[in-house]
Amino acid sequence: MEFFQNILLGFQVVLDPTNLLLCFIGVVVGTMVGVLPGIGPVGAMALLLPATFRATPTSSIIMLAGIYYGAMYGGSTTSILINIPGEAASVVTCLDGYQMARQGRAGPALGMAAMGSFIAGTLSVIGLMWIARPLAKAALRFGPPEYFALMCTGLIILTYLAQGSILKALMMALVGIIIGNVGLDMITGLPRFTFGIDELTDGVGIIPVVMGLFGISEVLINIERTLKRDIFQTQIGHLWPSLKDWAVAKWSILRGTLIGFLLGILPGGGAILSSFVSYAVEKKVSKHPERFGKGAIEGVAAPESANNAAATGALIPLLSLGIPPNVVMAMLYTALMIHGIQPGPLLLKNNPDLFWGLVASMYLGNVLLLLLNLPLIGIWVRVLKVPYRILFPLILLFCLIGAYSVKNTTFDLFLMIFFGAVGYLMRKFDYEAAPLILAFVLGPILEQSLRQSLLISKGSFMIFINRPISAIALGFGFLLLLSNIFPYIKKRRQEYEKIEE
Amino acid sequence: MKAYDQGSSLFWLLFSVFVFIESNRLGIGTLQNPETGFISFGASGLLGILSITLFLQSSFRKEGAKTKSPFQGTLWKRVFLVLIALLLYTKFMPVGGYLISTFLLMTFLFFIVERQKLRWVLVLSSLATLVTYYVFSKWLNCQFPPGLFGF
Repeated sequence: MEFFQNILLGFQVVLDPTNLLLCFIGVVVGTMVGVLPGIGPVGAMALLLPATFRATPTSSIIMLAGIYYGAMYGGSTTSILINIPGEAASVVTCLDGYQMARQGRAGPALGMAAMGSFIAGTLSVIGLMWIARPLAKAALRFGPPEYFALMCTGLIILTYLAQGSILKALMMALVGIIIGNVGLDMITGLPRFTFGIDELTDGVGIIPVVMGLFGISEVLINIERTLKRDIFQTQIGHLWPSLKDWAVAKWSILRGTLIGFLLGILPGGGAILSSFVSYAVEKKVSKHPERFGKGAIEGVAAPESANNAAATGALIPLLSLGIPPNVVMAMLYTALMIHGIQPGPLLLKNNPDLFWGLVASMYLGNVLLLLLNLPLIGIWVRVLKVPYRILFPLILLFCLIGAYSVKNTTFDLFLMIFFGAVGYLMRKFDYEAAPLILAFVLGPILEQSLRQSLLISKGSFMIFINRPISAIALGFGFLLLLSNIFPYIKKRRQEYEKIEE
Repeated sequence: MKAYDQGSSLFWLLFSVFVFIESNRLGIGTLQNPETGFISFGASGLLGILSITLFLQSSFRKEGAKTKSPFQGTLWKRVFLVLIALLLYTKFMPVGGYLISTFLLMTFLFFIVERQKLRWVLVLSSLATLVTYYVFSKWLNCQFPPGLFGF
């Protein structure tokens, strides 16, 4: 009974005209961001975060979450029509989606992507409701050692799942912790690494960092080459997939949903990894794996379902534990903190309107996205035709305004440009920005929980071993690190043996 | 890639040494009473170790073909010019005001990737400047600097 009351409360919140409007704006902006290559959901959220300062926390979170799952929907359009993923989670959709478009089946591909996303989004919202509550209750018993251990393990998993070198990802996580240290010490009140610059006393703002590393650097990478986007000239035709398509794809959607939801909960997992894993699973279980890459509809249905389910699943650790598992959730975490709301186990108890309002907005947002994506495909295709030479100055301008409007200071603009240049070089030298951002956000909490734990234990690190949850979490993280080192040592040994022979 | 990994690892090593020294200056404290520089001390120490590991790993790595520079074949000068323009904009905005400085920046950016007709560039720059000014300044109450000319 209580469950239905909560759902009712959620719908009461989201049907408020302001919240409804912001949910709509969120999913439209999200879809547009997903459609347009060059600015991802993280950049868009950072851009619109200052605009939410005047809104209530619930309205802000509803809009920002809308951008995220909207981008997951929109990303498929570019993958299918021009073979360029609008955002990273749609990379794998290119493989079969574009082939379907070339075979004159762009309509069913787009339709299946939208329907799969809708089904996955809806099912995973149900999952979120069932899991987040008991997890939040359990998390009420967590102390600083448990939080420290969980965050450390989260960062290790994130680096383990990094696309490139794990060593470089770990280094970036440490750099993120160091940057997060700039500003006043929370306990002693002493300034750290401010070098006499007053603006740094408050610390380095997340918006200049995120916009620099994700927005500016992305633009810089794009303008250093001649960009030509050719939209495949095909009749989109009817969007509704045939019964045969449904028969083939129904289990793929369900498997994709389950994989995406579970991997979404995992730190660092998120939408990108889940779309790749679900594609690999589909290929493995298929009776005709040779069809994959040549226009198999399962190759579109599964990853698109997975990335949407992951977007919802990632909310579980954020809302129930207060630990953002990926960069997008770190942005939501920051938004909540700016609005004076502490994400974590008490969120459900202290702010039920926010939690259930967000859940209900996701139901509604999924319906809005279905309504937007299917009939408005033509408009999104036209948006795609905007040349990059017009698009990139506008993206840069929005980044400048976004960074400036938080504190109305040009210092943040300098910071953003600095991080933009750093992000550009990081991309050139194969360093990932995601571990840096997540560690940057988690750094201050990590520090606080470590110092509190050491104060409780009078300086003994055994506190992390004596408490079961922290011991298991740290043990798992340690094993992950070891599992990465052993194959490397083995490989080296084999190389030396070869040389000796 | 080998040389680039070696170079970047040396950069991070220097960065970690700097943070390490600065953390020491701030005070590390003890395990019973960790002080201001405690976390950055640990993080920089680990970063230093990982940087050395990356340096050694890349030094012992065998690479068959000679790898090309990450800047080779790219229009990196364009990137450099855009960065300079953004820095100049940031410096000039408090003096010139939002409208003038944004218009100038937009005109430059619309020009840099592809030569376009001046008429179009001016129309696009004016539109971008005015629309963002009204949306952010009038509607969302963002306080843009008025500059010397008062607008």
